[in-house]
Amino acid sequence: MESLEEIKARVEASVTGAAVEIVPNDAPCQQRSLRVGREKAREVAEFLRDDPRLRLDYASNATGVDWPDTVTKQKVKVKKQINGVEQEVEETLEERKPGCLEAVYHLYSMALKQGPVILRVRTADRMQGVHLPSLTPVWRGAEFQEREIYDLYGIVFDGHPDLRRLLMWEGYRHHPMRKDFVEPDDYEYEPTPHDEVLEKAKAHYPADGGTQGGTA
Amino acid sequence: MTGSYSTNEFLAVLLLVAILFPIGPLLAAWSWAKFMCPAKPGPHKNAIYECGLESKGDAWVQFRSEYYLYALIFLVFDVETLFLLPFAAAFKGLPLGAFAAMLFFLLLLVEGLVWAWRKGLLAWK
Amino acid sequence: MIDEGLRNELSKQGVVVTGFQDLYNWGRKNSLWPMQFGLACCAIEMIATAMARFDLSRFGSEVFRNSPRQSDLMIVAGTVTKKMAPQVVRLYNQMSEPKYVIAMGACAISGGPFKQGYNVLKGIDRFIPVDVHIPGCPPRPEALLHALITLQEKISKETFTGPGRPRHLDPNAPSEFPIPVCGPDDLTPPSNPEVWRPPTMVRED
Repeated sequence: MESLEEIKARVEASVTGAAVEIVPNDAPCQQRSLRVGREKAREVAEFLRDDPRLRLDYASNATGVDWPDTVTKQKVKVKKQINGVEQEVEETLEERKPGCLEAVYHLYSMALKQGPVILRVRTADRMQGVHLPSLTPVWRGAEFQEREIYDLYGIVFDGHPDLRRLLMWEGYRHHPMRKDFVEPDDYEYEPTPHDEVLEKAKAHYPADGGTQGGTA
Repeated sequence: MTGSYSTNEFLAVLLLVAILFPIGPLLAAWSWAKFMCPAKPGPHKNAIYECGLESKGDAWVQFRSEYYLYALIFLVFDVETLFLLPFAAAFKGLPLGAFAAMLFFLLLLVEGLVWAWRKGLLAWK
Repeated sequence: MIDEGLRNELSKQGVVVTGFQDLYNWGRKNSLWPMQFGLACCAIEMIATAMARFDLSRFGSEVFRNSPRQSDLMIVAGTVTKKMAPQVVRLYNQMSEPKYVIAMGACAISGGPFKQGYNVLKGIDRFIPVDVHIPGCPPRPEALLHALITLQEKISKETFTGPGRPRHLDPNAPSEFPIPVCGPDDLTPPSNPEVWRPPTMVRED
């Protein structure tokens, strides 16, 4: 199979306006992925599926990633006027980068027995701009996977034929796989708690040290 | 020896046993249930079973008319068989006219069967 | 009721003496029909118990009924998710009296290895009364048979009147348990206080 650079070049040549970049991977598997801008994601997907040299017709997996807002602090030496004397003062600059959500697709080719090519599509932000074009019309296998991503991360896929919650129930308010998800507090009884579970359970212990109870 | 007893006494015993034999266990079951199985109904307990979900709508389904027609045709031919039974039992002693009359009876009913067949009532849709 | 020595003597002579209560309990405990309720991996062990090697039907659990109305015993085998919990409680309600529950496996007892999951109900005994708990992940078929025998011993100790009454003869026992509703954050209510109260723990710090 051709390398990711070649695929990127051909995608950019074929789909105008597609913002494609290669995401490096430092892990031992060295599995790099293609990140595509969400405006042209559907066209890029159709190109990947229909191109005779790629024929990536099988979306084996679709999953989501939550990139939370990051705050990076940088210490910078700045010349400042303090009481009339020019001094060099160290200041900490806070750079706040907004986070986003990302959908990752693993694509294989059943016709040409090649793959995988990993496709990533990012949303605008984590609040209101969580819409992405749905790739279910391109690969049918992404139908339930995108429902799961909607359920657990909150990415809304435009063009999905049946976007409902899959694992959690209708009417559930939260998206459990987000980094800022707070679990409901039902850790009343823990026989052998430790670490963070102990912290959660302690909130239910009586403060004055009640009687040692047996089973309910 | 049954000489000194009349038939009526035996009949009386038979009637008594015939009434008590089914009624006895029924009474026993009813009184056991009254004391040992107190009713514990509840709105969810009596609701229609649908694998743990709330049932939408009735449990009544539309009755298929094929069942009714099947039963009707069965009834007709069963009664015909019933009439054929004494004829078959007394076949050897009957004159030819009786045979002809029975054949006429049979042919009438066969005509009914042919009518049902032509109407498509014997095919289950 | 009758002296054990006398009973043994009589049975040696071929006379069996029993009481109404023993007969009633004996009939009930040896014919517990389970309801098919395999939710997850413990269901495989339950199926294995029902098959030829560890035969469950020799204890009277001949058939696994599909309908709760025809079964006496609900073996909750597997993780109960919060989405499934209302259905479990509704099915338990729809079983006819007398009914018993075995919580099989760590997940049904307290949430098990998936206790920290967002969709896992931390034990089915939060909503329905459980008679026997089987620890294990999954418990071996012998463990399920041991649980069934334990339940049979529990049934044989039940009395018609008094505090040892089974639930179906007790007019104070509720006829059905409230079904939780899947609310916006969690199940509403998260547990049934009449059925389950967390034991009071002592803070060690």
